[in-house]
Amino acid sequence: MLARNSAAELPAVAGGGAWRLRWPLRRKAAPAFSDGQAESGLKRAHFTEWRLPFWLLAPQLFILLLFFFIPSVRALIQAFQLTDPFGATTQWVGFQNFERLFRSSVYWSSVQVTVLFTVAQNVLTLSLALLLAFASNHILRGRGAYRTILLLPYAIAPAIAGIMLAFLFNPRVGPVAHMLQGLGFDWDPNRNSSHALALIVMAASWKHICYNYIFLVAALLSVPHSILESAYLDGAGPIQRFLRISLPMIAPTLFFLIVINFVYGLFETFAIVDATTRGGPAGATSILVYKVYQDGFVTLDLGSSAAQSVILMGLALLLTYAQFRFIERRVNYSV
Amino acid sequence: MRPVFGALAGAGAMLLAGLSCAQAATEIEFWHAMSGTLGERVDELVKKFNDSQKDYVVKAVGKGTYDEVLNGTIAAYRAKRQPEIVQSNERSFLTMVNSGAIIPTSELMAQQGQPIDVKKYIAPVVSYYAIDGKLQAMPFNSSTPILFYNRDHFKAAGFDKPGATWQELEPQLEAIKAKGVSKCAMVLPGDYEWSFLENYSAVNDIPYATKRNGMDGLDTSFVFNKGKLVGQVERMKRLIGPGVMQLAGQGVIPIQLFTSGECSTIIASTASHAAVVAAAKFDWSAAEMPFEQGVTPKNSVIGGAALWTLKGHTPEKYKAIGAFYNFLAQTDTQVWWHQATGYVPVTVAAYDAAKAQGYYQKNPTREIAVVQLMRGTPSDNSLGFRIGNSNQINVAIMEEVSAAFLGRKPVQQALDDAVSRGNESLRRYEQLNAGKK
Repeated sequence: MLARNSAAELPAVAGGGAWRLRWPLRRKAAPAFSDGQAESGLKRAHFTEWRLPFWLLAPQLFILLLFFFIPSVRALIQAFQLTDPFGATTQWVGFQNFERLFRSSVYWSSVQVTVLFTVAQNVLTLSLALLLAFASNHILRGRGAYRTILLLPYAIAPAIAGIMLAFLFNPRVGPVAHMLQGLGFDWDPNRNSSHALALIVMAASWKHICYNYIFLVAALLSVPHSILESAYLDGAGPIQRFLRISLPMIAPTLFFLIVINFVYGLFETFAIVDATTRGGPAGATSILVYKVYQDGFVTLDLGSSAAQSVILMGLALLLTYAQFRFIERRVNYSV
Repeated sequence: MRPVFGALAGAGAMLLAGLSCAQAATEIEFWHAMSGTLGERVDELVKKFNDSQKDYVVKAVGKGTYDEVLNGTIAAYRAKRQPEIVQSNERSFLTMVNSGAIIPTSELMAQQGQPIDVKKYIAPVVSYYAIDGKLQAMPFNSSTPILFYNRDHFKAAGFDKPGATWQELEPQLEAIKAKGVSKCAMVLPGDYEWSFLENYSAVNDIPYATKRNGMDGLDTSFVFNKGKLVGQVERMKRLIGPGVMQLAGQGVIPIQLFTSGECSTIIASTASHAAVVAAAKFDWSAAEMPFEQGVTPKNSVIGGAALWTLKGHTPEKYKAIGAFYNFLAQTDTQVWWHQATGYVPVTVAAYDAAKAQGYYQKNPTREIAVVQLMRGTPSDNSLGFRIGNSNQINVAIMEEVSAAFLGRKPVQQALDDAVSRGNESLRRYEQLNAGKK
């Protein structure tokens, strides 16, 4: 239970942190591009009364304490214990849980699947979102309607998206699967592990394209028209303008989305996997975060589950650090 | 004035009566994992008990799947807010016994002055749920796997009925597919480790784990990576490869593929009767589980779940639990439950009563499971399974076996890996529970 809490909270903290850092910057930066001057970094806000910021932070800190810090500490403790699910017997076992994980070929294959999954999901999500953002910016009639439709999937609960896709692509009864089979493609995610992986990549991307799309549309809109117009006068076509001008100018947003997509793929896709494939066939789609759940809640191996969530926590910290250190600092927010 | 006063007094008396009645009834909570039709049956069962007397009220709460009920119970117990009764599957037996959170049913009933005579219960139930002749949990929904088949499909393929052995059944399934009668001659059940592996080893009298499948101590080890069981997994692979046996996969429940007429057979729990009767629109029947040629089949092993009594409640609550268990063990209740759900009667008297009613003449398939469970003398290999960390090991075995039949690993290697992963979990369980049963 503890293991799950902390694992579930990781994405909220890692992803949310990035979001909170980015958002005020974007608003502040928006008008800045017109005068062409780069305004970078955070502006320090001054509070004359030292207690006020503390009280303003308190509710958020309290929630973090309750749902993140306490569970994290308990997960950390449990990672070094062997314990009965009911808590009747507990033994301290040192690093035994970690050793077991690193020796286990199942864990390493889960790591492998996770890398494949997050990279594929990232590439698919970002490229489709980019394509849609580019296309919808070029449509004049009904642009708003298109955007609304493109944003709709974000409102669908992951479990429902997963079950729907599992059903649509079920080789026995699914209409999409029947279509694929009609085209002579032997589609069967229940038997073929790459099909199963493709299915969860699709499900995860479909849910996350909208999120990427919002950011990309906003970024594309803030590319200065003057530059695009001069390129147009120089004879550059829409695709060339996009590749040569817009794309480099929205690069910071792309970097940001890549990190966010990794965080999403690593930590927030549990529900989709659970509803779509349950980690199968034969563990082929058992990504790390799903394994934390399965080992903790289905098989009641609390020590191992806690050790896994501690490893994931470390990974989340690393990603957040990378976000701060390499991306936030070097990005020019004047676009 | 007078009639008004009279009416008031009458109303007051009624109110008081109502109050005293509400105060007297002891309420106990019963968490279960029955959903759909079976969930409705549990509600009916509890209502029967509540209506039968005035002192106790059982409140049945569906908490999802067996895994979810167990998780919920653990969380509740750790927060000291546990219910009085939980339903937990047969696989969780050792987890529950060694949890320190339960009161053995035999002990509870002895305290309540209604000691349990295990001889009244059918043998496979007792061997599974009793330690040294003492029931640890109250037997509730017990089942065993049987073979359901679509008789129309068998006739169309030129067969009367499925063969009794795998050697006869396998060519029949292949013929059904080859003749185009059905694209799916058999569907793999979701709990195939129970039917295709555990029950297979019991029926064919081969050891699954040492120490009589764990009955004689926690220092048991798996040994299913040799002999007939390797052949069984080879067979599964042989059937799944060309699509004679199909996997339902996510989004579909295997039994639905049988009841919809898409798949010709399924080896499933006898409790599937409820679903088959409700949905199958074709001529169906059932038969005993197939076994290996040349073997005298032993009894199969039960599945399903039992009711566990949790610690930490007041004596009145335990009195209520005693009364509820007593109600459950009554022949009338058992016969009704058996007929309403498809689970087997857990007492010998209930089986005899159903037989005396002529129930099995009208519903021959309902008797298959009971006969299969009670045939012959149980051997060391067919007593049941007493495996620690069983949920964990179960997931590992299924992962490895499915890797084998999907062709991702050679069968022998997959079974060797399953055994070594299973044994690692067994040793960990032994380490944690040193000195316990």
